[in-house]
Amino acid sequence: MRVGVLCSTKWGTLDMVAQLTTGERQLAIVVLSLVALLGLAMAAAGRADPIGVHGFIVLAICCGLIFVVLGAYYAPEPSPERLEHYYDDPSKVGIVLTMAWAVVGMFLGVWVASLLAWPDLTFDAAWASFGRLRPAHTSAVIFGFGGNALIATSFHVLQRTSRARLPDQFSPWFVLIGYNLFCVVAATGYFMGVTQSKEYAEPEWYADIWLVVVWVTYFAIYIRTLARRKEPHIYVANWYYMAFILVVAILHIVNNLAVPVSFGHAKSYSVFSGVQDAMVQWWYGHNAVAFFLTAGFLGMMYYYLPKRAGRPIYSYRLSIISFWGITFMYMWAGSHHLLYTALPQWVQTLGMTFSLILLVPSWASAGNALATLNGAWHKVRDDATLRFMMAAAVFYGLTTFEGSFLAIRPVNSLSHYTDWTVGHVHAGALGWVALITFGSIYCIVPWLWKRERMYSARLVEVHFWLAIIGTVIYVFAMWNSGIIQGLMWRTYNENGTLTYSFVESMVAMHPYYIARAFGGLLFLMGAIVGSYNIWMTIRGEAEVAPESADLPEPRLASAPGE
Amino acid sequence: MAEFHRKIERNAMGFVLAIVVVASIGGFVEIAPLFTIDDTVENVQDMRLYTPLEQAGRDIYTREGCYACHSQMIRTLRDEVERYGPYSLAVESKYDHPMLWGSKRTGPDLARIGGKYSDAWQVAHLINPRDVVPESVMPKYGWLQRNALRIDDLGEHLAALRDVGVPYTDDMIANATQDALGQAAPDGDFAAGVVKRYGQATQVRAFDGDPGTITEMDALVAYLQIMGHLTDAAYKQAAAAEPAK
Amino acid sequence: MNFDHDTVVGFTKSWGLFYLIAMAVGVLIYVFWPSNLERFHAAKKNILDEDDKPWK
Ligand code: HEC
Ligand code: HEM
Repeated sequence: MRVGVLCSTKWGTLDMVAQLTTGERQLAIVVLSLVALLGLAMAAAGRADPIGVHGFIVLAICCGLIFVVLGAYYAPEPSPERLEHYYDDPSKVGIVLTMAWAVVGMFLGVWVASLLAWPDLTFDAAWASFGRLRPAHTSAVIFGFGGNALIATSFHVLQRTSRARLPDQFSPWFVLIGYNLFCVVAATGYFMGVTQSKEYAEPEWYADIWLVVVWVTYFAIYIRTLARRKEPHIYVANWYYMAFILVVAILHIVNNLAVPVSFGHAKSYSVFSGVQDAMVQWWYGHNAVAFFLTAGFLGMMYYYLPKRAGRPIYSYRLSIISFWGITFMYMWAGSHHLLYTALPQWVQTLGMTFSLILLVPSWASAGNALATLNGAWHKVRDDATLRFMMAAAVFYGLTTFEGSFLAIRPVNSLSHYTDWTVGHVHAGALGWVALITFGSIYCIVPWLWKRERMYSARLVEVHFWLAIIGTVIYVFAMWNSGIIQGLMWRTYNENGTLTYSFVESMVAMHPYYIARAFGGLLFLMGAIVGSYNIWMTIRGEAEVAPESADLPEPRLASAPGE
Repeated sequence: MAEFHRKIERNAMGFVLAIVVVASIGGFVEIAPLFTIDDTVENVQDMRLYTPLEQAGRDIYTREGCYACHSQMIRTLRDEVERYGPYSLAVESKYDHPMLWGSKRTGPDLARIGGKYSDAWQVAHLINPRDVVPESVMPKYGWLQRNALRIDDLGEHLAALRDVGVPYTDDMIANATQDALGQAAPDGDFAAGVVKRYGQATQVRAFDGDPGTITEMDALVAYLQIMGHLTDAAYKQAAAAEPAK
Repeated sequence: MNFDHDTVVGFTKSWGLFYLIAMAVGVLIYVFWPSNLERFHAAKKNILDEDDKPWK
């Protein structure tokens, strides 16, 4: 139901508020006020500390949102007919946020990459130094871009596969907005130097506690919706999304256990130290990759890829086998980050062994995706959206192979601490995570906004090639630099002493760092082109589409290359 | 079997439980023994604590993200030992909450950087690395020299560290602020106290070259200069393993 | 029970392996159980259905 009088844009925020029932609007205001009070308390307690600044940020955001809700507070009750449709408003906003974080995070990536080639390409200020920008980059892309994409698509997939509407209209907003509040607090924190230093778990204790609240709500939405599903069987995509939600919760809570200096301090000290901390951290770090950046996105793949191709997944059984394989085995593999360190030998060996076996379920997933496309290759050729997803599956296969390879002790002795790891990470991050996300977004945008197709099929094509070329340049540059670096560090001359000083190895990296920054720039440009295309699609005229327009296949022929 | 699975599936909570159990076991099995066994962390007698100034420096190291470019973990590989020094022992990061082993060496390992350079070199290098090493890609950290160190709350920091297991005494916590001042001002009134509480080996110097004010640079350099020297265990072990020349 | 290093590690290694095998067998039985086949088939096809509406 549109309340067109209230707002001239086609999907204005006020329309979205008007969709809430009066009870939900009241609940929203109450919750926002409570969180605003929390912000005020933080601001008061942390006067001399960054936590105070965060308090003000929370306060400002909540007050802004209260005004938004008040703006449509007196709009008429939404019609009961809404219950006949899925609830997609949070997914829509989530998609827009995904693209916004993509551009921000990748811009930071390009900046960070440039700093390694030209270290003075920054402001002479603490916030703009490499050590603070780097976590801002990783969090903005992983949590901002990846996390929003997961939340937005999971709501979409969950409803379609359960054939049930989300249980209420308030909690999805709480999850989406609460999660973005976490991301904003995290990102602004790094610029102020607020960090626990734990990779991918940098945000401090108060942000961590807040994320737990958000996550519990997220989990509850899943369970409540599944409870009302039509088929007794739960579609496999949801298994992956569920594993993502659950395991990330376990990892997050354990790894972030810490004692704050006081309620007025952002700083806290981890309860773990030394080796135990290293093991907990990499158990977390590795499985954040497994369950955030892999399981969640596999969920995406298992829904959007068959949908777009118009063909069922090649083997449903295989998808179940690989699910349990991944869920079980990833958790053992974290110690491959600590080979040859002070960690006890047997834990290292266990990590290496499981990392090798992991290749089996990983390739089963990648193979399953590609086999689904077998017989639809003409669609892959004509449809860049499907090609995004196909390329993602290929990169997923390559990256997991490389991962198992890098876990072999002698290989790791060369690759660890070098750019090879960074190249591996980005083969996965750009090639798998980002490509599957863009592919899924190009599917979902026309469906959600009831458009016939994307604004421009050609721009999707342009984005595809920018992304592929950018990824390839990035990854090749890092393979080269990583291997050269690793070899230079261990080269001996005939006197039996080390040949190269550290600085010589650093200087040798310079051309590759320039190449990487260039590859990243192409990838960023792709994301900008994609954002423009999505924006124009959203703004475009809605044709009043019939319900079945939610489906892609019949139109593939009439929109080649889309 | 099939009936069991059908039940698990229909009731999503059962399914949830299955995922949690299956996923938890790997981590549990690997991590739990690290806490129960004795030989994970070597037992050494001479392990000393970070002074309040050094701990403040460590917090600055964390804040500035030095760990993003520098590891503090020398692996048991010949070239690393020759390049950086004896390989790292678990005990050396026993009081590190959290550890800063790092995962990327854009710059060299720092586990044994303490004592390698003079304070003046460290200060000059941090203010502008390219003044000292022209090719360097390390960022400049000029503001450390300009910012006064916040010392009024150091006692609270030590108290929190004690809560997570670092054996600071009441005396150390009560005198944290004076001890920080004392360590950076060798001729001042508080210098004797810090040596008394943290041992004869404590380095008491005007790390940033200016005993008058206590800056973030003082703290960071104090931390860099103690790195690798909280205990001699690694050096002793290396010396014992060395074949007689 | 005496909870020393060797006991814990021994437990980990032996039971870890049994657990792995039991896990694998369990999943395989589930996947290949004949009466499950039909449901998997339905699940696989269902997402391509066109009726894009909540069912009740
Ligand atoms: C962008 C990555 C980067 C960051 C961030 C960084 N460094 Fe460095 N660091 C380097 C590089 C590269 C070198 C080697 C060249 C040189 O000596 O400047 C280096 C060298 C050093 C050295 C000399 C090591 C030796 O054995 O010669 C010290 C000490 C040092 N850094 C301390 C720090 C501290 C403290 C911080 C945080 C405030 C920091 N670095 C942040 C890259 C970085
Ligand atoms: C425009 C594209 C991108 C560029 C230019 C870029 C650049 C960089 C750079 C320069 C680093 C630091 C490497 C170092 O310290 O040597 C980095 C780290 C990282 N980036 Fe990106 N990045 C991009 C996109 C992404 C995306 C989309 C993701 C995830 C979805 C991602 C995830 C990561 C992670 C996890 C790390 C840490 C790697 C490690 O610790 O080994 N990046 N990136």
